[in-house]
Amino acid sequence: MGSDLLQQIVNSLLIGSVYALVAIGLTLIWGVMNIVNFAHGEFLMIGMFIAFWCYTLLHIDPIFSIPICAAVLFILGAACYRFIVSKVMTGPILAQLVVTFGLSIFLANLAVLLWTPDFRLIEKPLLNGTWTLGSVQLSIPKFAASLGSVLVSAGILLFLRKTKTGKAILAVEMNRESALLVGINTERINALSFGVGAGLVGVAGAFLSMYYYIYPQVGGLFGLISFCIVALGGFGSIEGAFIAGILVGFVQTLGGYYFDPAYKYAIVFLVYLITVWIRPQGLLGW
Amino acid sequence: MGNVTRRTFLIGGSAFAVSAWMAPPVFAAPKTIKIGGLYPLTGNLASTGLDCRRGVELAVQIINGKYDLSLPLAKTEGLPNLGGATLEMVWADTRGEPKNGQAEAERVVTQDNVVGVLGAYQSAVTKTASQATERLGIPYVCSDSSSPTLTERGFKYFFRVSPHDGIFAHDQFSFLKDLENVRKQKVQTVALLYENTEFGSNVGKQEQKYAQEFGYQVVADISYTANATDVTSEVGRLIKANPDVLMHASYITDAILFTKTFKEMGFNPKGMLTMAGYIEPGYLAAVKADGNYVIVRSTFALDLAKKKPLVAEVNKLFRQKFGMDMSENAARSFTAPFVLADAINRARSTEPQAVVAALRETNIPADQVIYPWKGIKFDPQTQQNIYATGTLVQIQDEQYATVWPFESAAKDLVWPVPAWKSRK
Amino acid sequence: MFALVLILLLLYPLFVKGSFPLHIMIMVFLFAMMGVAWNIMGGYAGMFSFGQAAFFGIGAYTSSYLLTTYHVSPWIGLLAGGVLASLAAAAIGIPCSNLRGHYFAIASIAFAEIVRIHFNNWKLVGAAEGLTLPMLGQSFRNFEFHSSKVPYYYILLGFLILSLLVCSWVSTSRMGFYFRAIKESHDLAKVVGINFVRYRLAAIMISAFLTAMAGTFYAQYILYLDPDSVLVLPISIQIVLVAMLGGAGSIMGPVIGAAILLPISEGTRVWLGYKGTGIDMIVYGTLIMLISAYHPQGVWGLLSRIGKGKA
Repeated sequence: MGSDLLQQIVNSLLIGSVYALVAIGLTLIWGVMNIVNFAHGEFLMIGMFIAFWCYTLLHIDPIFSIPICAAVLFILGAACYRFIVSKVMTGPILAQLVVTFGLSIFLANLAVLLWTPDFRLIEKPLLNGTWTLGSVQLSIPKFAASLGSVLVSAGILLFLRKTKTGKAILAVEMNRESALLVGINTERINALSFGVGAGLVGVAGAFLSMYYYIYPQVGGLFGLISFCIVALGGFGSIEGAFIAGILVGFVQTLGGYYFDPAYKYAIVFLVYLITVWIRPQGLLGW
Repeated sequence: MGNVTRRTFLIGGSAFAVSAWMAPPVFAAPKTIKIGGLYPLTGNLASTGLDCRRGVELAVQIINGKYDLSLPLAKTEGLPNLGGATLEMVWADTRGEPKNGQAEAERVVTQDNVVGVLGAYQSAVTKTASQATERLGIPYVCSDSSSPTLTERGFKYFFRVSPHDGIFAHDQFSFLKDLENVRKQKVQTVALLYENTEFGSNVGKQEQKYAQEFGYQVVADISYTANATDVTSEVGRLIKANPDVLMHASYITDAILFTKTFKEMGFNPKGMLTMAGYIEPGYLAAVKADGNYVIVRSTFALDLAKKKPLVAEVNKLFRQKFGMDMSENAARSFTAPFVLADAINRARSTEPQAVVAALRETNIPADQVIYPWKGIKFDPQTQQNIYATGTLVQIQDEQYATVWPFESAAKDLVWPVPAWKSRK
Repeated sequence: MFALVLILLLLYPLFVKGSFPLHIMIMVFLFAMMGVAWNIMGGYAGMFSFGQAAFFGIGAYTSSYLLTTYHVSPWIGLLAGGVLASLAAAAIGIPCSNLRGHYFAIASIAFAEIVRIHFNNWKLVGAAEGLTLPMLGQSFRNFEFHSSKVPYYYILLGFLILSLLVCSWVSTSRMGFYFRAIKESHDLAKVVGINFVRYRLAAIMISAFLTAMAGTFYAQYILYLDPDSVLVLPISIQIVLVAMLGGAGSIMGPVIGAAILLPISEGTRVWLGYKGTGIDMIVYGTLIMLISAYHPQGVWGLLSRIGKGKA
């Protein structure tokens, strides 16, 4: 019984950090612009496909295509902001909520058109297989993703707190009007944040592609869980997203193992609802 | 859109009266006969839908052309009894939703005046689509949906050619018994794993039923969310239950994820009996050698060609047309057009009542089907093909080999299956 | 103007006989009705629900379960479904009453997903296999028609008109006034003493009731339902889109929105979908982005500005 629990704890940490990695980009966008990017799952999907094509056509292992995924998605994110999202920033909230839904439908089906609905898998990534530590099986790609998640979170925190651009982003996040007064080009910051947020989820896509199957609709459930994680952790809070991601990993895995696998996502959503009722701003939000 | 003359009449049924719009009676032999084909051509199951469509397209090509093949209507161009009229498919995308199944079935019948309907792979969609055709009084020939409930509704216009999940589940347990009797390999415990969709939960039910009947102990009965992000909880439970055999019913996405997770977590039952997803071409393309030793229920396998050259001939045409081997789904969908066309031909008419009457008399012999069946003949009550049987194939060297029934096996069964650690 | 449109709608089935055109109109009415219901809580009271499918499903399942198990008339089932949905709405509405904007939206999604997952596993209502409604003789009493869709058309049109009347009443009544106040500013409304929890709850419950009615209609129309047909997120999203496209916060907005969006959705599936390339959905997605970005007030807003009608 003890080793079961240990294995499930390990599993929880692994999937939780993967979730955290996926959610970090979303919380940044949300925090800065107060926009829920409902196409977040689709950005993830594109990141995964980029990693796949780099592997298949250019023989670049996913671990090395991370910068490529990040870069391409950065450009895509910034472009989406510039040409689509910026138009709704001054509009009604409803339009803001809906425009990214449209984007998500558009991107998922563009993927169908370009790459067909077939399922792809990267069969032999460098980081492959399982380590056996005592009675616990540790999936190497998931472990790599967890490490990646920690590194990326730390990295983005450093960026936000120590660099000029990063601080500008934080400033806009905290108080848009004041930031404008101080001379920060908020439009540029918005585009940048959207780009960075997208780039982050591109990184997540590269890691996920090491072990998960890839197809146009893969973003759906990951996206949905990301929204819950971000809201749970508190919008704009990177640390919050990380902690919430791990928390959701635990709830899902332990709930599925001890209670009922068929209900595991319902439990996640329930925990989300309860938390938000008690503390609407999320665990670490303002 | 044609003018529709109205004739209403009651068709006897046990609990309901069905009114029908009738297509105009055929005065002169038509040049083309339209058939509706409903499949998920976009959405989550699009790759499967497109696969099924390939099977139907090849069938229509064979019927319309002249081929020296032992298949109904292959040797003639089109339907000889209707002046060589050819089939024309009217394709409809269901997007995998039951409400679209109904809408599309109605649309192709009332707007395109199709004479019959095929499809729709997903049993939930076939359910509503065939409800529509039943109401409209148009024949529906299904050879790719496996829910047993489809032929338990007392419908008069719905015919199913392929085996259903009850048959497949029964096969799994017959196999286990055979394993014991013939190969002296004893199995005591089974674990049931299935996605919680209409398909999966039906299979789960059937397997529970037969487990009882055949006397096997079910040590785990796990229903899981399809397309999950992670299945470590489910596999954890399976490892804990430690079954001799795992029975898994899923579509392709979870088949892939579970295979990877089984390997990752070291789940090693003596063998795995699976359905659906594992036999789709995308599965092996994705998991490659990790799929070895999995046993899947099947209606079709390429190695049938050894006993039935027709299979090789048909596959050759399929390869020419599509650049790939014929898959299980394409093979299943392949048959419905022949059954329908054969009935229309015998009826010498496209008039629904005549076609349905002809369908009921269907008696296609064993040498004209690409499966190891005794033929195609419909049960008078349920209108299920009484000769539809399944086989079991095992993935060996990344190929599907028929391993059961033992008499028709093309390759020898590998049992028990080697543990992950001892595989290359 | 309304009278003209109403007359045209009443006469439509006399001129258009095909089953598919009637089906499209029925889908238009269905989503128009649910869009109007959404409007009551969303457009007017500012609670953007992305989980309306939960109420749609509760309505459909309630009446279908009562019919298949206890042979209760679908008309009674309709009311029962409405009541249950309202109660569910109240249950979720109370804890969520403090949430705003994006938070409320995501909470509504979470709620709807919980409902869907639960129904998917609940053996009582058929779990994943769903419920198949018995094919009874066609009659108004049985709420089933087989030889023609026309009765369905008129019944649903009636439901739609009812919803519009309710919405109109809400918007012109004191409740409607308070809704707008709440929407404008939570804090101010609180200060002024409007018991906004009570009014928010009322909005949610009315909205849920009407949406559940649509659910019962759906069940009687298709005669089969499972969680994936009635409780899924895409339905909730389509409802929001319909309201937004047409003009949230206007009575007729959702009707216009549905009249534009549903034929496009059905049409692209029919003309482009069968190729399997996803072009139909690309067109759909693009349209949504264009409307949100360039015309967020919706068509109704556009028409109002041209001076054709009163919002």
